[in-house]
Amino acid sequence: MRRRPGIGGLQTAAAARDQFRLLGENVAKIRTDLMKEQLATFRSQLEDFARKHKNDIRKNPAFRSQFHEMCAKVGVDPLASNKGFWAELLGIGDFYYELGVQIVDICLATRSLNGGLINLQELCYLLRQRRKSDRGVVSEDDCLRAISKLKALGNGFEVISVGKKKLVRSVPTELNKDHNEILELAQAQGFVTVDEVERRLSWTSGRAIDALDTLLDEGLAMIDDGHRDGKRRYWFPCVSPISSSLGVDS
Amino acid sequence: MQNLGNFKLPHFFNYPPYFTLQPVRDTREKQIQLWKDLILDYCRTQKIFVIALEEEFPLFSNPVIERSLTHESRDAFLSALVSEGRAEWMDKGHRKCLILWHRIQDWADILLQFAKDNGLEDGVVTIEEIRTGIESQGTELHGIDRTILNRALKLLEQKGKLVVFKGTSADDEGVKFSL
Repeated sequence: MRRRPGIGGLQTAAAARDQFRLLGENVAKIRTDLMKEQLATFRSQLEDFARKHKNDIRKNPAFRSQFHEMCAKVGVDPLASNKGFWAELLGIGDFYYELGVQIVDICLATRSLNGGLINLQELCYLLRQRRKSDRGVVSEDDCLRAISKLKALGNGFEVISVGKKKLVRSVPTELNKDHNEILELAQAQGFVTVDEVERRLSWTSGRAIDALDTLLDEGLAMIDDGHRDGKRRYWFPCVSPISSSLGVDS
Repeated sequence: MQNLGNFKLPHFFNYPPYFTLQPVRDTREKQIQLWKDLILDYCRTQKIFVIALEEEFPLFSNPVIERSLTHESRDAFLSALVSEGRAEWMDKGHRKCLILWHRIQDWADILLQFAKDNGLEDGVVTIEEIRTGIESQGTELHGIDRTILNRALKLLEQKGKLVVFKGTSADDEGVKFSL
């Protein structure tokens, strides 16, 4: 006998639908809860990791450089914004902003001594002296990163390579190839003479004097007439630091 | 870093070009500034009041780097001090220079403080007592150069703070304070 539809059947069907919906909602809720829980775990794990290695990242320049490499691989720039997750967690942005400010400070303070061109090694040395509390934890890599961030402020700061050394330029002076070659030559002893420039670079006397005069005018060179051979020496504070006693960094 | 006695020399003292007067203005200004500070610091700590340009002076040469200042540079650095009122030429030929790490006015103030500290507001003291007496021991007045002291006394005399009276010899010149 075929059952005819009745009010009871409809009610049962509705009740079953409600049951299914309820169950579905429950399952969904359980899933979201699970996801939330997992996310929370992930986050706390990450925080644990960060907290655990925070000191390493802060104090150990090698670790920090590896951290940057890792970030670069997964496409995260912890320095891109100071509000990012990493920055918030590690304060790593602050670290580089602080370095940047200190670098600008040092460059300005030594400008009258070196004409606005400073050896990266010396810059690091002065930076470490300034940050005495955690001395020795700033690497040249950190300096370079901080300087690259300073580019956001305009073209004021630039790192140039002269021979084996890296120099940080904080004035808009353009150095041409001749000047660079002289600076490279000067790295051996800290100074050059006109004779030496002519001989080693096979230049005419006019070319050598011209380039040296420009470097003098820019405040990058200083003359020294005091040697007993009587030959004028041109010294370059940017390649032979005055402030750090010689050889401290090497 | 090198020391001269208990005096710590600055880094630039070991950098040869600082012993040659620089031709470029900005560089020279910085160079002169460094030397001015060094000369004043050194004289203050070593209690040196007079520098003779033609005589040996520890700051004028650095045997370690075999450099010494030419007469022209010495004159330039000291002249810069003179133009700031921190030194005075003692002769027209610029052979001797009086170094004033305290200006005369400041020396006069120190002298007044000395009088107050020793209850000499209405008292009498000889000039030699000021320079070498027990009262001045441990103060900056002890061993003060006679020329500088006389200048400070003169300044105070003009202001009516004291009277200098002559004795029978230079030794017993005296000062009567009236504060």
